[in-house]
Amino acid sequence: MAEGCPRCGFADLTGERCSRCGVYVTAYRASLEALRRGPVLRPAAGPPASAATAAPGAAPPSATATRRLTFHGSAGALLGLAVTNVLLILLTLGIYFFWAKARMRRYLLGETELEGDRFAYHGTGRELLIGFTRGLVVIFVPVALLSVLPAAYGAPPPVRHSLSTLLWLLGLLLMPVAMVGARRYRLSRTSWRGIRFSFRGRLRDFVQLFVVGHVLSSLTLGLYYPIYSTHRQKFMVSNAWFGSQKFDFDGRGRELVWPFARMILLFLPTLGLSWFWFSARRQRYFTDHTRFGPARFHSTIAGGALAWMQISNFVALVLTLGLAWPWTTVRSMRFTNRNLSLVGALDLTAIRQDAQAASATGEALSGLLDADFGVS
Amino acid sequence: MPPSGRVWDAHYLDGQTPVRRPVRVLIGRAGLEITLTDGGGSLRWPLAEVRQTQGFYAGEEVRLERGGELAEALLVRDLGFLTALRAAAPEAAAAFHDPGRRRYRVGLTVLAGVAAVGLAIGLYFWGIPALATVLAARVPVSWEVSLGNAAMAELAPVARRCIDREQQGRIDAIIETLVKTLPESRYPFRVIVANNPTVNALATPGGSIVVFRGLLERTENAEELAGVLAHEIQHVMHRHSTKAILRQASAGVLMTALVGDVSAVVAFGLQSARTLGDLRYSRQAELEADRDGARMLHAAAVDPAGMVSFFQAMQREEGTPRTATRYLSTHPAAADRLPALTALAAARTRQPAKLLPGVDWNEVKKMCGERPGSER
Repeated sequence: MAEGCPRCGFADLTGERCSRCGVYVTAYRASLEALRRGPVLRPAAGPPASAATAAPGAAPPSATATRRLTFHGSAGALLGLAVTNVLLILLTLGIYFFWAKARMRRYLLGETELEGDRFAYHGTGRELLIGFTRGLVVIFVPVALLSVLPAAYGAPPPVRHSLSTLLWLLGLLLMPVAMVGARRYRLSRTSWRGIRFSFRGRLRDFVQLFVVGHVLSSLTLGLYYPIYSTHRQKFMVSNAWFGSQKFDFDGRGRELVWPFARMILLFLPTLGLSWFWFSARRQRYFTDHTRFGPARFHSTIAGGALAWMQISNFVALVLTLGLAWPWTTVRSMRFTNRNLSLVGALDLTAIRQDAQAASATGEALSGLLDADFGVS
Repeated sequence: MPPSGRVWDAHYLDGQTPVRRPVRVLIGRAGLEITLTDGGGSLRWPLAEVRQTQGFYAGEEVRLERGGELAEALLVRDLGFLTALRAAAPEAAAAFHDPGRRRYRVGLTVLAGVAAVGLAIGLYFWGIPALATVLAARVPVSWEVSLGNAAMAELAPVARRCIDREQQGRIDAIIETLVKTLPESRYPFRVIVANNPTVNALATPGGSIVVFRGLLERTENAEELAGVLAHEIQHVMHRHSTKAILRQASAGVLMTALVGDVSAVVAFGLQSARTLGDLRYSRQAELEADRDGARMLHAAAVDPAGMVSFFQAMQREEGTPRTATRYLSTHPAAADRLPALTALAAARTRQPAKLLPGVDWNEVKKMCGERPGSER
């Protein structure tokens, strides 16, 4: 055992304690050993994992379980937060909006728990304000140059029409920029157990995917859309990381083509309700093809439940002029968590902090362009 | 201040690995003394470097962080820790949440709600109009002109304007007679007749006035049109539409910040320039335009009776849904407007001269072409 202090490497160990850094040698070794084994993971409160869903191979049984997200937030606290936000937004003539947004996200993530630990949100209102200002410039400069000025100076109609087409194309190209930017920003500001998430997809790849997807979708009268949306999901998921560990997505989307076609065929007869069944089907497909190391996500979302959830929330919001918002938010958070689980071994021992920088400009663009992208 | 002797059970995240390690924390004189119970030594956190990021709501663990972006964290389940911490270090207490304040939250929220409603009412009826007045006075004339041109492109597209050089010359002569009376003309006034059956006339910022065919066809003589134009010129001079745009836009932006969707901010900004036709002036703005319009007619030696008779005709038509009379809906008629107008018209100081002597007004009225059913 003459290998020196396990912490500082000091060779001349005489007693129980290292005389250079003061560490208790045997205890420190034991803790290193514990680190290597990983934390003791207690099974979550959800239904016990069946043998069929257990991860294959050598994972110890204690690490194999069904894990769930739990949302602890209350509608009352959310309402209180919203009311004070409204007051501060009015007092600052709108400037507080960005801080309000950051505060709300901090609450919603801080109330979401996995394995006994809350998530944390690290974004700030200042970042969002700077991102918004940059986003405005990015949007308003082309809009002013291509649309308002030609109209103001009476350019002939053909010129104006081609300029507005150009503007439309530019706007279309900004959409993927915004989507990637928003994902990059939000993941980089989210952590669990002190380890940041990150997004490392390349913008160029997504723009290409986006343009090709839109062209092919319109050429095939929409039939390519489920494949395209799966590619989009693959890009968003398989480029997401938790520390040094990557998420994986192995769906190809072919299984969604028929459900999509069926949804289109039944859209008018069901007065649009068929959309919910397709949406739930797609969510299950996306979730079930997402992996984190040896663990796999699983969704039990059903079309009927999803339809009831969203329609009743919408009706509640309309009837209360939006005042029911805290309740509908809590309700849909719980609904999502109830239908989502992570099955299999969760191996955290090899994961290290590996955060990536990201600015809030893309995030702001997505807000400005309404390109909010609903992936978890 | 003596350190409290109690040792608190907590967990420690090192910011490098997702491993929750049990620790014991002692609130010491110089800061927090943290001992890793699984071995591995101890840490000292000076209180000045510690910030609280979670633990403001029931059920949340207290989360203290130390370090930069990727911080170490300490998680304490027992809320009593915060109270003890605040008691032990009164000079740093402000940095940490006081759990005792939670019981005032409901009351404070109600108070904030009442304040927010009061503030919203105050802003809507007083703050925003005042702000619009202040801002409108600072908008350069050149901006108003380009804004007006952009609005004009929407209100009266070139293809839908009535072009008749001779009749246009006569209308321009009326404008010239009126504008001559202004001590200084900052605005390039011009009248565009739009081929549109609506009975209305609008002043855009910057001096361009649209007269719709429907209104022109309902004037009996040059004096009636002069009355309408004098009124509209005063809207321009008083920057009423610039104020209305600013009012509408700032109310829209604030509303959007409250509801929480940024994309609509942009939409509002662009839209407000276009929906000029839907803007309503306040009753006060109308009275102001009437008063100064009548003065202008006096100064130009135009018979103000035309202004009165046209207004009476419009009032008679109000409530007959058959006609597309929008003049009174965009120029709200208060009960006292007509008497005030009549009084103003009666107070003539000089003998009026006939406008456009020897011109058959029917020729001007029909400058958009003879069409069946357009006769009254």
